[in-house]
Amino acid sequence: MKKSPLALLLALGLLHAPLSAFAATAPLDLVGPVSDYKIYVTAEIDDLVSKTQQFTDAVKKGDLATAKKLYAPTRVHYEKIEPIAELFNDLDGAIDSRVNDHEKGVKAEDFTGFHRIEYTLFSENTTDGLGALADGLNKDVKDLQTRVAGLTFPPEKVVGGAAALLEEVAATKISGEEDRYSHTDLYDFQGNIDGAKKIVDLFRPQIEKQDKAFAAKVDKNFAAVDKILAKYKTKDGGFETYDKVKDADRKALVGPVTTLAEDLSTLRGKLGLN
Amino acid sequence: MHSMESIPPSAFPACKQADDTNMSDSEHNNAEFSAQRRRVLLGMGVAGAALAGSALSCPAMAAGQAQAQVTEAPSSDKTQDRHDFHGKHQTGIVTPRPAAGMIVSFDVLASDSEELERLFRTLNKRIAFLMSGGAVKQVDEKLPPLDSGILGPVVTPDNLTITVAVGESLFDERYGLASLKPKHLIRMVGFPNDALQPELCHGDLSIQFCSNTPDTNIHALRDIVKNTPDLLLVRWKQEGTVPAQAPLKAGEPAQSARNFLGFRDGSANPDSNDGSAMDRIVWVQPGANEPAWAVAGSYQAVRIIRNLVERWDRTPLQEQQSIIGRVKTTGAPMDGQTETQVPDYAKDPEGKLTKLDAHIRLANPRTAETQRNLILRRPFNYSNGVSKNGQLEMGLLFICYQADLAQGFIAVQTRLNGEPLEEYLKPIGGGYFFTLPGVTGDQDFIGRSLLSAVKQKTTA
Repeated sequence: MKKSPLALLLALGLLHAPLSAFAATAPLDLVGPVSDYKIYVTAEIDDLVSKTQQFTDAVKKGDLATAKKLYAPTRVHYEKIEPIAELFNDLDGAIDSRVNDHEKGVKAEDFTGFHRIEYTLFSENTTDGLGALADGLNKDVKDLQTRVAGLTFPPEKVVGGAAALLEEVAATKISGEEDRYSHTDLYDFQGNIDGAKKIVDLFRPQIEKQDKAFAAKVDKNFAAVDKILAKYKTKDGGFETYDKVKDADRKALVGPVTTLAEDLSTLRGKLGLN
Repeated sequence: MHSMESIPPSAFPACKQADDTNMSDSEHNNAEFSAQRRRVLLGMGVAGAALAGSALSCPAMAAGQAQAQVTEAPSSDKTQDRHDFHGKHQTGIVTPRPAAGMIVSFDVLASDSEELERLFRTLNKRIAFLMSGGAVKQVDEKLPPLDSGILGPVVTPDNLTITVAVGESLFDERYGLASLKPKHLIRMVGFPNDALQPELCHGDLSIQFCSNTPDTNIHALRDIVKNTPDLLLVRWKQEGTVPAQAPLKAGEPAQSARNFLGFRDGSANPDSNDGSAMDRIVWVQPGANEPAWAVAGSYQAVRIIRNLVERWDRTPLQEQQSIIGRVKTTGAPMDGQTETQVPDYAKDPEGKLTKLDAHIRLANPRTAETQRNLILRRPFNYSNGVSKNGQLEMGLLFICYQADLAQGFIAVQTRLNGEPLEEYLKPIGGGYFFTLPGVTGDQDFIGRSLLSAVKQKTTA
């Protein structure tokens, strides 16, 4: 009688549950950083809500210049806390979906939120017809605020958020397709990076306990990204548009970003989280 | 689980055809098949037997085989076929072309020459593993696995070759390589009929993957991408295939595969088993007025040549044949009966049989002085979806190797400029690269001769 492939693999030890290389970080050690992270997220959402109010006020008043100016500095707060915001699928789609998420493009009825408003402001160069979209966005970010306040943060989502933010950068920020009408991608880029770095910083004692060299390598790559982004900071604390970013710098961002994505993908495991 | 091991492979001609793509011995009788199976068993151990056993079926031949299931994988007894990574030259050049090929061009992100060495050493390690196969190291389940797993827990070599070449841009100021650039290596310049798309052109480094299946090539690419996050950035990639030919009858010469124009392609290729011909045509020789490190390497020209197939399919057969210069059914030259016959242009000086501007006549006029323009072609057919006009985006992933790029591809393509075939072709991408010399053993690594030439230069 023949053995099944699975039985043979098991007999050879190929499918053994591998030895756990990392001792799980004691749950109590995670309480501090996770609650600190909730404080951080709450503060960012508070900013998001109040700035969205100002932004949508400008839109509704027909103040195109102010609306354009407030667009990027408002949404950056969303980008910083995306791993938590994304836990609420319906709101994430309503607030932050991009045109290519919709088969019917800008005409899609369910295309709402920042990028839909961005399209009209920057591509159509008007605030006309944005009233309902502005109200909807305002309502959605407030809803997010309420839901996050009532959320128990799962440690694995918090720690995994660092990697998730880097995946965002690698998949949509390098190409400049996030803010395709306003070209304010660098705000979001920095927001994602800051959000990821915050998580690493909060868990630093636990990370360093497991792997000091890893922490140093991650810091080095964050610094490399920050250094390139800093070249494009403007006097008002904002950023140049993405089309100003030199090809050499775009390319120079890829290495550290991809390495951070690879390294941070191991962070949950390193802390023994599932 | 049921098994079809007892059914002779001759019951699966369609499968066999797919397996035999590139093998010179195409007749597998039952005994050979068993021997092959034994080799598989010996090579892989019991786990291999289990894996092979689980894959022994062929959906294409399921008709009449009531026990075959929809999801059963096509079978191959060639998953353990492997090429030795070590040798004077890299593999994947004179190696018979398997069914699946892929060229990937990269930008090198290494910050200095030390990092460049780390890149080449990493590539060396990954290629050595991928070409020989073996069990993948398992890690803590809480971590991402080290391997994509698309070939399973034991990586099968599956006839894989990985060929590394460097582009002209690697010799810029970044790594101090400028004075070591191969003499003929230039950035590809568009020919008159080209419509080059910048995002499909050039690159610091090219890697050619060839194996029995696209999955094996993709597995290898993903392995390399995962292991070089800070060193390589994918610039462009093109996959292609070679259609399998029916097994040869005894005494018949091998036939070339057909391209997407429906013509046999590669008929006049030089004999890749003729070592001295390859030394003359393909490999850079000592004393060739090239940097010493480049000896045993080869120039690689890659062209993504879109074929306007709808238009071609609406062209009368006689016109197709006179444009190419061959009979479509047999692949024979216009004055011959079989594909391997050599056309005698001396007897046809006015181009009555084979037009003077026929593709094969311009590409290889078969004169004494054009012998130095010979190249070794190794192309794949590609198919990429649909254009905005609803036309098929497909064509030829043209790859060729030569010891002298100027005398080789560039001279040949220059002769072809303005050929009638251009109406049906649009080259849209590609690049020129220099394939590094082979890795001679465990002490050596890919790119070593180039990097040690830099070190010698800086210490001298």
